[in-house]
Amino acid sequence: MKIAISSAGSTLSSNVARQLGTAEYMMIIDLDTGDVEAVSNPGKGQQRGAGIQAVMLAISNGADTVLTGYCNPAISRQFETGGIEIVTGISGTVAETIQNFKDILPKETDANLDRSAGEAPKTDKKKYINAARSALRQLINILPVMFSIVLLIGLFNTLISKKILAGIFSGNPLIDNFLGACFGSIFTTNPINSYIIGGELLKHGVSLVAVTSFVIAWVTVGLIQLPAEMTALGRRFAVLRNFLSFLSAIIVAFLTVSVLNLTGIVS
Amino acid sequence: MNWKNEQKQSGMRQYLKVSIFFPILVLVLYSILFLVMPDKAWPALKNSVSILQSLLIPLCLVFGLIFLINLFLNPAKVAKYLGRTSGLKGAVLSAIAGVISVGPIYAWYPLLKDIKEKGAADSSIAIFLNNRAVKPFLLPIMIAYFGLLFVIVLTVLMIVASFAIGYVLSIFMGIDKPKCAD
Repeated sequence: MKIAISSAGSTLSSNVARQLGTAEYMMIIDLDTGDVEAVSNPGKGQQRGAGIQAVMLAISNGADTVLTGYCNPAISRQFETGGIEIVTGISGTVAETIQNFKDILPKETDANLDRSAGEAPKTDKKKYINAARSALRQLINILPVMFSIVLLIGLFNTLISKKILAGIFSGNPLIDNFLGACFGSIFTTNPINSYIIGGELLKHGVSLVAVTSFVIAWVTVGLIQLPAEMTALGRRFAVLRNFLSFLSAIIVAFLTVSVLNLTGIVS
Repeated sequence: MNWKNEQKQSGMRQYLKVSIFFPILVLVLYSILFLVMPDKAWPALKNSVSILQSLLIPLCLVFGLIFLINLFLNPAKVAKYLGRTSGLKGAVLSAIAGVISVGPIYAWYPLLKDIKEKGAADSSIAIFLNNRAVKPFLLPIMIAYFGLLFVIVLTVLMIVASFAIGYVLSIFMGIDKPKCAD
């Protein structure tokens, strides 16, 4: 079993760093062999993005558990998703932390040693709990915006008549397809919202091709997110990718509806 | 240009805007409607509740699928390999990482920047981003609204399109050497 401890220095007598992302070092300790390695933290001195780099560092070093002073909840989630347990509130030196961790560990280690008989490992239960907890959190994260969208649709269904909508989506497949992609390109939020909006638009008589290009563009094209994508991946890349995705939304929507027409599902 | 500040301003702020201000805006809108046109507000609310009811079972399935993905797959681990692989293998890995990735897009930009600097191809990053549109755990909701056949056709076409976008993008990016992000 490997543990990673955020550290202010590169020795066992160094103090545990309070902030995980910005710690000077990450100490990687192999509890089975006793090997200790001090890895310089690429995120030190940074503010944003440091946490993600800490996650990557822990994953690439094969850590099972990360011990630190503090780690923000968003990054904790990344660890959990990566199957790494994160323990916060740790203080003292690295050596003390290792000892304390070993003291609470024996039962679990013994269980692992007894596993040779082929029984299910005890840690599996923990894995299930973590996966369920993380799934619940992911679902809860989706809900506020989803509820709001549903409330807006309720409003929309009551206030906007089919006539108004028909004035926008005229039934011309080419124009509808283009308009659908345009509306879908503004935001990029969870795709679930585009399904709900798209589904309700369908009920109002908007053509399937418009709804399809809307659903595709919703996730693949994001004008509001464009500045963030440009700074992360380069202006040229971001603009090209969004432009190509916009074209692809129109083409894929057209092809999808054509295929469905061929199968006779949509008249 | 300072990437961190820029990222903070654009990515995080947009996310917060959407996840906090949007629900508040909707609530304010409803409050106004209840004051001005209560006869319209009640049917609107009722309509919303009935939509939510129809989403209840699909949402339970969504939870189950996210649980299974968390249990067996690790998006971060798959994404990590994008910097080291290329060709068809790289493209397929990017697609898988994109499909199983969760969370808001802004959280992925730092990691993508990192793996791009480590040598991941532009096409891999584009394929990853476009496959975020394919979400297995949301299939129950999609099927509930559009039917199984539509979902299958659309999903297959979207994956094929993501490869095409990756390919075309890599050609355009290769015309002259792309500048570094910073």
